[in-house]
Amino acid sequence: MSERPEPLDTWFKREILAHEQALVRYLARMWPNRQEVHDLRQDIYVRLYETAAKMRPLAPKNFLFATARHLMADRIRRKRIVSIDAVGDLDALNIPVDDISPEQRTSAHQDLRRLAQAIDELPPKCREVLWLRRVDDLPQKEVAIRLGIAQKSVEKHVMKGMKLLANALSRHEPSRCAVEKGVRNSDARENEHGKP
Amino acid sequence: MESHKQIEDAAAEFLAKRDSGDWGEVDQARLSRWMQGSTARRVAILRLEAIWEEAGRVRALGAGLQPGAVPPPGEWGRSPFFNSDNDTYETVPRSEATESEDEPRARAVDVRSETRVTGWNGVSSPRRRGLLAVAAGLLLAVGIGAYLTLIPSGDRYSTPVGGVASVPLQDGSNVILNTASAVRVELTPTARRIRLDKGEAFFEVAKDPRRPFIVQAGSKRVIAVGTKFSVRRTGEEIRVVVTEGRVRIEGVGPDAGRAVRPADILPAGSIASADEAGLLVQEKPLAEVEADLSWRRGYLTFHETPLGDAIVEFNRYNTRPIAIDDPKVASIRISGTFRPTNREAFIRLLQDGFSIHVSIKDDRTVLTGY
Repeated sequence: MSERPEPLDTWFKREILAHEQALVRYLARMWPNRQEVHDLRQDIYVRLYETAAKMRPLAPKNFLFATARHLMADRIRRKRIVSIDAVGDLDALNIPVDDISPEQRTSAHQDLRRLAQAIDELPPKCREVLWLRRVDDLPQKEVAIRLGIAQKSVEKHVMKGMKLLANALSRHEPSRCAVEKGVRNSDARENEHGKP
Repeated sequence: MESHKQIEDAAAEFLAKRDSGDWGEVDQARLSRWMQGSTARRVAILRLEAIWEEAGRVRALGAGLQPGAVPPPGEWGRSPFFNSDNDTYETVPRSEATESEDEPRARAVDVRSETRVTGWNGVSSPRRRGLLAVAAGLLLAVGIGAYLTLIPSGDRYSTPVGGVASVPLQDGSNVILNTASAVRVELTPTARRIRLDKGEAFFEVAKDPRRPFIVQAGSKRVIAVGTKFSVRRTGEEIRVVVTEGRVRIEGVGPDAGRAVRPADILPAGSIASADEAGLLVQEKPLAEVEADLSWRRGYLTFHETPLGDAIVEFNRYNTRPIAIDDPKVASIRISGTFRPTNREAFIRLLQDGFSIHVSIKDDRTVLTGY
């Protein structure tokens, strides 16, 4: 509905990647093999990105979950390991996405809390590097001097931290740390997610 | 074929290198070439980029902590961001705040049970008068300027000029009626139908995928499953404001159920006007959309609104309209929050603040410049 089409990449980050946590939670619930969830997620992104390059869906979140359903159905068909449960579930999945993932109700504040927590859970050195780089906004060169390590190691920590953060943030189960810190009402709401 | 793990590793390597600042045209060209290799590579880059951008937001948490020093884990949990109880950051609390403010009023007009409703417009019992008094008291207590009057008859609810009322429906949905408005409610096992006969109403729709929530206003229908939106009807023209979820607009009659055009699906933040000529949609930040609906809390919010338009709004709430006889006065822009029912205070404000001349002749109040 906007007048100018925005770049696909920007759109993809905002409308699709923003739902990663909900998506992973959903996949973990539906897909029998947890190890495959991350691969599945990336395949969904690929398929969706390619479709969106031709025509951008109007209801991106619904489209994301629809793509997830189709992809799971395809995989099940291809693998011929049809378990009745899985098929039954897939059929029953034709429910409004809002029921699956009310995570739009989570607040910016809560996102920040999750982020802070994910950073705290990084390995100590990695955490220090990310802190200086992202909180204090120091360039990598400066970070290396402060920590007395080689610039190349800073780069390695950035690389590792980026991946660890990405995976921590898409994790579906609330970590124990959050519970200890006191779950606020919004967190509690988030937990309801798991309900069928 | 590369595995997603391999791709992710390579993507992180590129991005970490780029982040180091030691990044030239050759590096950029290498990254571009690599990304063109497959969509999987491109989405992996986008995903990590998004995370990295996201991580930049923690800068807000560093405020107040000593720069350059890394506190032990858990320490920034004590950042002022996490301590304050009034979270200005929460996006949703905005609507929750609205709800809680609305609560006293909603309770005051608890017309849920039919028995109470049916007697209402008949002779009022002492108990009912008591209830109304309580309602009025609560309204004053929460400082809502608009007074509350609801005239239900069967499943028809209406408000007089200047009235605002909240109507809880049996399915758990809630309707807030604005000034001089009327709706008819019909709940069946397969659908929830509301007819907006006149005026404006805000709908908080309880989720029920099996029973669509359909608001008919003249020749248009607005359809939702679980969402929050308002519909305002002026003759055959309707105006729809969506604050949560999505709604669909379609025609009634011969073209009913026709293929939905993309523009007819309105996401949150939309303000749409529809008439015979077609549909015009504006997308606005949610905060602005909420301000547009501040009548639910008994006031009007203007933001650099031409006085002429503001007066039109005001007149919806008053039986004695204000007129403007001077285009220069009509084009003065005003901002602020006003009680629509406190007409006198508004006029006084215009006189004092904008040097506008007010003449009152009989029932006519006319604004002119000096």
